[in-house]
Amino acid sequence: MTNLAMWARLKSPWVIHFNSGACNGCDIEVVALLTPRYDVERFGIKLEPSPRHADVLLVTGSVTKQCADRLKRIYDQMPQPKFVVAIGACACSGGVFQGTYGTLGGVDKVLPVNAYIPGCPPRPEAIIDGVVKLLNALAAPPAPPKASEEEAATEAPAEEVTEVPAETAPDAPEEVKKDAE
Amino acid sequence: MIDYPLLIFRVLVFPGFTFILLFTMFCDWVERKVEARMQNRMGPSFTGPHGILQPIADFIKMLTKEEITPCDSKRNVYKYAPILALSVLVFAMAFLPIDGSSVIPGVSFAGDLIFVMALVSVANFMLFLAGWSSTNPYSAIGAARVMTQFLGYDIPLVLLALVPAFLAKSLTISTIVASQWLPFAILAPWAFVLFIITMQAELEKDPFDVPHAESEVVAGHETEYSGGKLAFLKLARDVQIVFGAALITVLFLGGANGPVPFGFLPELWGTLWFVLKVLVIVVLSEYLTVLFARLRIDQVVRVNWQFILPLTVLSLILTLSLAYWVYPMV
Ligand code: SF4
Repeated sequence: MTNLAMWARLKSPWVIHFNSGACNGCDIEVVALLTPRYDVERFGIKLEPSPRHADVLLVTGSVTKQCADRLKRIYDQMPQPKFVVAIGACACSGGVFQGTYGTLGGVDKVLPVNAYIPGCPPRPEAIIDGVVKLLNALAAPPAPPKASEEEAATEAPAEEVTEVPAETAPDAPEEVKKDAE
Repeated sequence: MIDYPLLIFRVLVFPGFTFILLFTMFCDWVERKVEARMQNRMGPSFTGPHGILQPIADFIKMLTKEEITPCDSKRNVYKYAPILALSVLVFAMAFLPIDGSSVIPGVSFAGDLIFVMALVSVANFMLFLAGWSSTNPYSAIGAARVMTQFLGYDIPLVLLALVPAFLAKSLTISTIVASQWLPFAILAPWAFVLFIITMQAELEKDPFDVPHAESEVVAGHETEYSGGKLAFLKLARDVQIVFGAALITVLFLGGANGPVPFGFLPELWGTLWFVLKVLVIVVLSEYLTVLFARLRIDQVVRVNWQFILPLTVLSLILTLSLAYWVYPMV
């Protein structure tokens, strides 16, 4: 039963995206995940409109003082089990906005963060890699014999994805832009 | 004498509950794949072969999540509306002849078409209640939109369902299916096209999906739901889509009648033809969904009262005159 639940959880992580004060660079990269080039629906990842439906909270940008309460409330509205992924240098540590009067710094000042994805902005492949690593970490703790199979199953697509930048790195950014438009 | 083991098998396994649920999950996968391919994407690919287990994984995941009940909600309505919506729709499916006869043998009676149409309204009303009872502004707007839309579009839907009834001169679903040696979609194509458009609105699919327009009202009437209740609400919506396609199949495409009659195992062939026809309608409906942008709520209402309702009445008059003066001579 728990194996079944774990399998289902790994296969359908629904995400909600929250902008806590980003410059929009990271947001465009998150939206690029849904474009035909990266198409995260292959892994069952869906962008959900309501925090009540979501499993993973994708936060972009440093947390402004105005936003901190709202971010906390959105997190509280999500049903357990829930995970937080901080996307971009700003969300990890405050980035270029570190120490300014209007911001608190990284997301971990407000919420428990499960995965950090650095970069300004991180490439979509990096975001997929981060989410997959989070899922693998999820599968690891119970460590029954089945878990290794599940890990292998989720790792296989991950490798496929991380290979993409190696082949197409030089020309990829322009195409990403085109997709996002 | 009633054959009880057979009855229980038919209700619970085939073509009853289990078959309907699995078929619904399959249709959900087909929809997601069609949508993805039309947008030049792959769609779910790594959950089972070609991602075919994706809807099942989603369903199990939702079942295992925490259930949150907002403290202001009307608890009982909030709790039971999704399950009631699902069971009413599955009950309505039981009247459709999936393998040539209805799920419970001998359950069909004169006028069961009207009864099934009434069940559809009840299911829609349950979805409205689900949104209304969660006392969230977005849910309330979504629920009000469900109501506005379904009050308007139910009239043309029922009137158009009368077209096959007039052609078959009967309000019994089994008689309507039996009298379609030539599918009514060929005898009355105008009603068929209108019925598909109206069904699209009734199922809240694009271009009529204003009740859960993500960019305006978050997730509409589903906004507050989580965990198992969300699973049942989403399942109810998927069953509703399959039910709509099955109703079109039964009324206009000849149900389980195949173009070539086979002597052996009529039930098997009947089910095969039925499933194929339903899949064609599901793909067509998803095709329309991806093709069109969303209308505004006022445009949705205006389209109904200004165009679809008058056209429906016209098509009813046309069909009636043809059915009494032209078709009997052919
Ligand atoms: S990490 Fe860079 S791109 Fe992302 S929000 Fe901060 S400044 Fe913008």
